[in-house]
Amino acid sequence: MSGITDIIVLIKQVPDTTSKAGLNPDGTIDRARAKRMLNPFDRYALQAALHVKKTYGGKVTALSMGPPPAVEILLEAIEHGADQGYLLSDRRLAASDTLATAYALHKCILYLGKFDLLFTGLQTTDGDTAQVGPQIAERLDLSQVTYCEGFSIQNGKLHARRIIEGGHQDVITELPALVTVANAYHTLEYKTIRGARLAQELLRDEALKNQYIHTITLDDVNADPELCGLKGSPTIVAHTDKVGQIGGQCTMHQGKSADILIKEIMDCTNIKEFAKQ
Amino acid sequence: MTEESPNQAIPINASQPIGEVLVYIEQCLGELQPVGLELLGAGRQLADKLERPLSAIVLGYNLGDIPKTIIAQGADKVYVADHPDLEQYRTLPYRRVICNWLEQMEVEPHTMLLGSTTTGRDLAPRIAAHFTTGLTADTTELDIGPYEHKGGSDPSKIGLYANCLYAIRPSFGESLKARILGPWKNPQMATTRPGVMIPLKLDWERHGEIIPIPVNLLQEDYRLVVEETFREVNKGVNLTQADVIVSGGYGLGGPDGFELLNQLAACFDNAAVGASRKVVDCGWVPYVHQVGQTGKTVRPKVYIACGISGAIQHRVGMQNSDLIIAINKDPDAPIFKFAHHGIVGDLYQVIPEMIRQLKKNSNTSSTKEVSSIV
Ligand SMILES: Cc1cc2nc3c(=O)[nH]c(=O)nc-3n(C[C@H](O)[C@H](O)[C@H](O)COP(=O)(O)OP(=O)(O)OC[C@H]3O[C@@H](n4cnc5c(N)ncnc54)[C@H](O)[C@@H]3O)c2cc1C
Ligand SMILES: Nc1ncnc2c1ncn2[C@@H]1O[C@H](COP(=O)(O)O)[C@@H](O)[C@H]1O
Repeated sequence: MSGITDIIVLIKQVPDTTSKAGLNPDGTIDRARAKRMLNPFDRYALQAALHVKKTYGGKVTALSMGPPPAVEILLEAIEHGADQGYLLSDRRLAASDTLATAYALHKCILYLGKFDLLFTGLQTTDGDTAQVGPQIAERLDLSQVTYCEGFSIQNGKLHARRIIEGGHQDVITELPALVTVANAYHTLEYKTIRGARLAQELLRDEALKNQYIHTITLDDVNADPELCGLKGSPTIVAHTDKVGQIGGQCTMHQGKSADILIKEIMDCTNIKEFAKQ
Repeated sequence: MTEESPNQAIPINASQPIGEVLVYIEQCLGELQPVGLELLGAGRQLADKLERPLSAIVLGYNLGDIPKTIIAQGADKVYVADHPDLEQYRTLPYRRVICNWLEQMEVEPHTMLLGSTTTGRDLAPRIAAHFTTGLTADTTELDIGPYEHKGGSDPSKIGLYANCLYAIRPSFGESLKARILGPWKNPQMATTRPGVMIPLKLDWERHGEIIPIPVNLLQEDYRLVVEETFREVNKGVNLTQADVIVSGGYGLGGPDGFELLNQLAACFDNAAVGASRKVVDCGWVPYVHQVGQTGKTVRPKVYIACGISGAIQHRVGMQNSDLIIAINKDPDAPIFKFAHHGIVGDLYQVIPEMIRQLKKNSNTSSTKEVSSIV
């Protein structure tokens, strides 16, 4: 017996950066045209949570905070085998920074009750901070394993391998613990047949859907609105700058044969200095 | 838009003492990590602007000369926790020692900086959440300046703040740099990318104070044990130390293209192969090669970008290279806006020619008949 009963995974819906729609030629985002998707890093987290369920047992709850369309990613989690989803959706959450987000999510986790493992992605592609996970761990006073790329559970403890600068580290921690899953872990691949069928049914049957996917508010989880949204955020984006010209003028070499072009480069730069003698 | 103070506005907190600038210094098994020294360089400027001391905090075991080196690298004060239980970095003990120390300070630091390394990103959010203070991730520029908060949903935040930490980072998805601030609560915190800031020159004449700090750990701080640490330095990819980086993007057309890049890299003495995120996502090369916002920040002497469009997220990881040469068949590719030399052409024609001429150079170089470099 592994003793694992409850697994929570945090997932977020972000603008789609993989499809061409909504992407400017330079790779930047046109928010108005962008589609939505499950944060790619959270696919690893979800896969890790489902792996625990399959290998050691337990129930997987996917939790997200965001506007109502984020129900889509909770359905996606169910298709892959999650047991239920919770969406914290509340206008008072608008403009939350990571501290306020972590506050609201930790209230949801307390509301969900007991858990053994709490998985998050390494970072989001829109917030892009990797802060929300550890900030929740601090609020909940949890042990944490960040940058986790593989793990097993033995005698009720988590044995994990994490990435560090220029190497790896093997650690063992007591449970419950928070784990942020590195993008070196296995990504989410297959939907389960049962999950996919269930998701289809949920799409057709609103009442059934409400049994699996619960939309909750700050009041439900007993969160202080003063600590959420803009009010609860210690940071603001005060100013944005267009990224100006850097690196100076580019000297263009074109319209000639490759040998001439390279000769030009050899003549007007110092790259030969670095060539093997 | 530097928000110069309108003359009638009076700075809030003007009478309150300003705290110092505190830098977290990373060491691994007794070896100082470069990012801490880079932060001392950046922190020195902030501290001088604030006219406050620059302090550093370092944790570990048998630290030896490390505190002295930290002073020689720019700190006025070093807080040192030297204890067997701190030999290896672990979240809970480190956060306990640091939070305890900050809590007993008479005036909390104005600013606290950590590196955006696996350690810094593990630790900084814990400290920030503990003090419910703001934390900006992955900054690329730091400054101190005034800010006037004029309105918004929270009237208690309105006012003119004379000395704020400007934490500047590229913002998601747009060609913008965001200036993020949070002057309402100290310490104002940020993590900074390794390889971005410039360390000061080592100066053994510099004076500073070494202050041992208490280590009072609780039972619950031992919930995690480190079994083993593996260092795999120099596994063929040393992007941060290479003189020349040959980087490939989606324009390579497939994983085989990296063969050609390896050949080009082999023409140089100290070269490494980099990649754009798109090719990493495609699985053509492993993540360790990735350059950019979510990969490594590099500053080589020469950066050769092959079939890379030059998206902002790539650019922030390599824009400080001394010489950027871009090869792209699209003359309008954004990379040509910031490269120093742009070659418009098919990389499969251009690179073999570059290899040929570099090799020719090496064969004839003994006769020194090669034209001298401008
Ligand atoms: C939050 C976030 C973080 C990101 N982080 C990073 C990051 O860390 N690093 C990163 O690189 N990207 C990052 N990206 C992705 C980035 O926005 C771009 O999508 C990516 O850099 C594009 O990669 P590319 O230049 O290889 O591909 P493309 O944009 O597809 O460019 C390929 C280029 O190759 C040229 N080409 C094609 N064939 C040839 C040929 N035969 N010869 C010469 N040229 C040719 C084309 O003209 C084109 O310019 C991030 C994105 C987001 C949203
Ligand atoms: N709004 C959210 N809802 C659910 N999970 C989130 C949310 N924001 C962040 N997370 C989790 O925290 C991780 C780190 O996010 P970030 O700090 O934004 O980079 C993500 O990969 C998610 O697992």
